[in-house]
Amino acid sequence: MDWIIILSKAFWCGWAALGFGILFNVPPRTLFALWVGGAIGGFLKFTMLQMTVGVVFASFIGAAAVGILSIPIAHFRHVPPMIFAIPSVIPLIPGVFAYRTMLGLIKLTGAIGADYNMILSETVNNGAKTLFIIMSLAIGVAIPMHVMRKESAKNIRLKKSTK
Amino acid sequence: MDQNKISETKELGSLLLDVGVSLLSSGASCSRIRITMKRLATTYDHEAHISIAPKSISLTLNDEDDNLLFNGMRSTPAQGVNFKTISGISRLSWDAVENDLSLQQVRDELNRLLSLPHYPRIIILIFVSLAGAAFCFSFGGKPPEMIIAFGATFCGLFIRQEAIKKKFNPYICVFFGSLVASLFAGAFIKAGLNINFEHAFATSVLFLIPGVPLINSFTDLIDGNILNGIVRGINALMFSMAIAFGLLIAMLIYHLN
Repeated sequence: MDWIIILSKAFWCGWAALGFGILFNVPPRTLFALWVGGAIGGFLKFTMLQMTVGVVFASFIGAAAVGILSIPIAHFRHVPPMIFAIPSVIPLIPGVFAYRTMLGLIKLTGAIGADYNMILSETVNNGAKTLFIIMSLAIGVAIPMHVMRKESAKNIRLKKSTK
Repeated sequence: MDQNKISETKELGSLLLDVGVSLLSSGASCSRIRITMKRLATTYDHEAHISIAPKSISLTLNDEDDNLLFNGMRSTPAQGVNFKTISGISRLSWDAVENDLSLQQVRDELNRLLSLPHYPRIIILIFVSLAGAAFCFSFGGKPPEMIIAFGATFCGLFIRQEAIKKKFNPYICVFFGSLVASLFAGAFIKAGLNINFEHAFATSVLFLIPGVPLINSFTDLIDGNILNGIVRGINALMFSMAIAFGLLIAMLIYHLN
């Protein structure tokens, strides 16, 4: 595996998460946590891709890790979990697939030529990937809160009370 | 019932509605809005019934014996995503529960939260542009493409902020941002530089993706707020179409395919 490429991609994913955090005006005390969250999500996604796991599942694992991490961070930094989770999963959004889908749809409006079937299959493939990756990101982020079945992260105990 | 209690209930109702619409317009999910408002209402011995529409919130307050005391409705101010407001209100609601704040104290704290400044504009521009370059790298871009993505994001975001200041329709603001960013990126490709066309073009507009409406849409759908989830999803789709339209126009201008 090419660890240098994975680690440098994770490093830059952290910066993407941080940039979006600033765009969404997060409290300054969460900025470092955002960088770490983005980097961990990116690290897991790109490691999975190297292990030839499909891109949808790889993104889901990255997002689920961010979702689970968001609960201890909510305790530690006193913010609602979504404030950490949303900017941290944004680097996993499939921008290139969305772009190819859009481009393909525009090409499909042209005349039907010899390669029309090829364009059609590629567009459907890219569109399906985009849709499912975005869905898996949202589910990955939302699930940890629902698995805990608590209305607020404050009620989730991190360690069992010894009393 | 004495006059004092009536005015207190009115004050509580108006405070809860302000909390609700601030959360709604800053990009909180429906369940968060509902939980926060109910938590505050219970703290002050009232029972709240809340209905959240896409752009307004209605509320009725009952006392412990289920007598109707207050009903009201408020529509949201036009305002962008602001996570500082959401985290501030979340802390405030816990503060009110744990430290028995008076209504006036909560109101003062809410006003302080709403007047907190954003990050300085130049910081936003630089860090979001850095995020654009980071996106470019994670999709396999090389340093020259990252620099182009940085510049394109910087120009696009600047134009979008200007358009928001001039109170254009939000979708049109996104369209302007996408058009300027892709015109910037396209200029380098047109100039004949040996760069990967797809990486530079596709990542130059990614700062506009409606991440918060997209994820909130699914959160609302999972929580059973189907209507709000659909509305937020369509909203995200409209933003994506505005982005695509800007890209398309830039490609037509440069004759790129």
